[in-house]
Amino acid sequence: MILRSLECRFLTIALCDAAEPWQLGSQDAATPMMQGIIDLHHDIFFFLILILVFVSRMLVRALWHFNEQTNPIPQRIVHGTTIEIIRTIFPSVILLFIAIPSFALLYSMDGVLVDPAITIKAIGHQWYRTYEYSDYNSSDEQSLTFDSYTIPEDDPELGQSRLLEVDNRVVVPAKTHLRMIVTPADVPHSWAVPSSGVKCDAVPGRSNLTSISVQREGVYYGQCSEICGTNHAFTPIVVEAVTLKDYADWVSNQLILQTN
Amino acid sequence: MAAEAKAPSLAEEYSLPPQEAPVEKAVEDKPQEAESIAVTNDETPQADETATAVEVNPETSEVQEVADKSEVEDTNPAAEETTETAEEEAEEKPEIKIETAPADFRFPTTNQTRHCFTRYVEYHRCVAAKGEDAPECDKFAKYYRSLCPGEWVERWNEQRENGTFPGPL
Repeated sequence: MILRSLECRFLTIALCDAAEPWQLGSQDAATPMMQGIIDLHHDIFFFLILILVFVSRMLVRALWHFNEQTNPIPQRIVHGTTIEIIRTIFPSVILLFIAIPSFALLYSMDGVLVDPAITIKAIGHQWYRTYEYSDYNSSDEQSLTFDSYTIPEDDPELGQSRLLEVDNRVVVPAKTHLRMIVTPADVPHSWAVPSSGVKCDAVPGRSNLTSISVQREGVYYGQCSEICGTNHAFTPIVVEAVTLKDYADWVSNQLILQTN
Repeated sequence: MAAEAKAPSLAEEYSLPPQEAPVEKAVEDKPQEAESIAVTNDETPQADETATAVEVNPETSEVQEVADKSEVEDTNPAAEETTETAEEEAEEKPEIKIETAPADFRFPTTNQTRHCFTRYVEYHRCVAAKGEDAPECDKFAKYYRSLCPGEWVERWNEQRENGTFPGPL
C-alpha cells in the first residue's frame, strides 16, 4: 500500500489530482494558489527542520552532560542578559520570516478584485450538489443547472475512484478566472478541491466567494469538508477542466439539452 | 474574455481593469447578440458548433481554418467580420459569451451575500425608474442572475409579489 503510494508520488508521469491511500504530501497543484500553498509549506518546513535540529541538539546535550553522574553539583546561574536577548530576538526574526510569505499568500488568495470570466454557483444539498451556470440566462428561469450525485459504492466502473466519482461533473475552462459562489440550501456544507487549493464553507443564508484559475486540463476530485449529515462522506466534488473552446461547446450543448 | 484566453502575466492578472469597461461592453453587445441568435436559428447544429469555435479561440491556426471554412459555407456578414476585425471583436460575437458580473469594489470580501442582494435591488429599482424593458437595466439583471442562487431569486420574486420584500425597492 505504501509502496503504491510512493510509486504514484515518484514513478508516474500522471499528476495526482485525487486523494490516494497512504498519501503524505499535498496533491499536485492545479492553480497558482495551490502552488503557493505548497511553496509556503516547503518554506516553513525549512525553519521547522532548523528549529527541530537546534532544539534536539540542546536537549540531548543537556541530558548527556548535566546529570547526576557526570555533574553532581549543579550550576546556579539564574539570569543572563545576553542569552535573554538572543533567545527573544532570534525567534522573532524566524517568525517574521515565516509571516511575510504567509501573509503575502493569504492576501493574494483573496483574489476578489480580479474580474472573473465565469460565475459558477455550487449549491450544497443533503447530500448532493447543484451547480448553476447562470451567465447564460435570459430570464430568472435557470437555463443551465444540474445535480451532481455520487456514484454509489457498488456501482463504479473500472478506473473510477470509489466514493470520489460523481454522475455530473462541474465542467470549467482551464486558464480562466472563475468565480465560485458557494452556498447551501439546507445545512452547512463545504466545497473543497485540494488540487485547486480551495476549501470554501457553505453557510446557510450566505453566499461565499472563492476565485480559482485552473492552469491545466484535468479532472480534480474533492470531498465535502464540513460535516453535513449522514451522507457527508458520500458527497464528493469532481471538477473537470477543459479548454475554453470545449467549455463553450459543452455549454451550448447543455443549453440545447436543457431547453428542449 | 480576450485577456483570460491568453493567460495574462501575473502583473496583468492582479492589476485592476478600468471599472467602466464591462458596463460599456454590455451595452455594445446587444445588437451583436441579437445577430448571433438569428444565426443559430438559421443554421444547422453542425454550423452552430463551428460558430462557437470561431468566437472562443481565434488564436490557434486550427480554428482559423474553421473560420475560413465557415466563411465559405455560409457567407454571412458575421463570419466575414471575424477574419477582418480584431480578435476581441471575434470573441464578443458568439452565442456563448464568456462574460459575467464584474468584481465589485463595494464587496471585496469573501461574503458575497450583499453583492447579490444589492444587484437584485439595483435591477428592480432600475426597472421601476426606467420602465419594464429599458435596455440599460439588462446588465443588472445579468449580474444578479450570475451572483444569486436561483432559490433566493425565486423567494425574493415571491416576496416582491406579496409586498414583503425587505429591501429598498
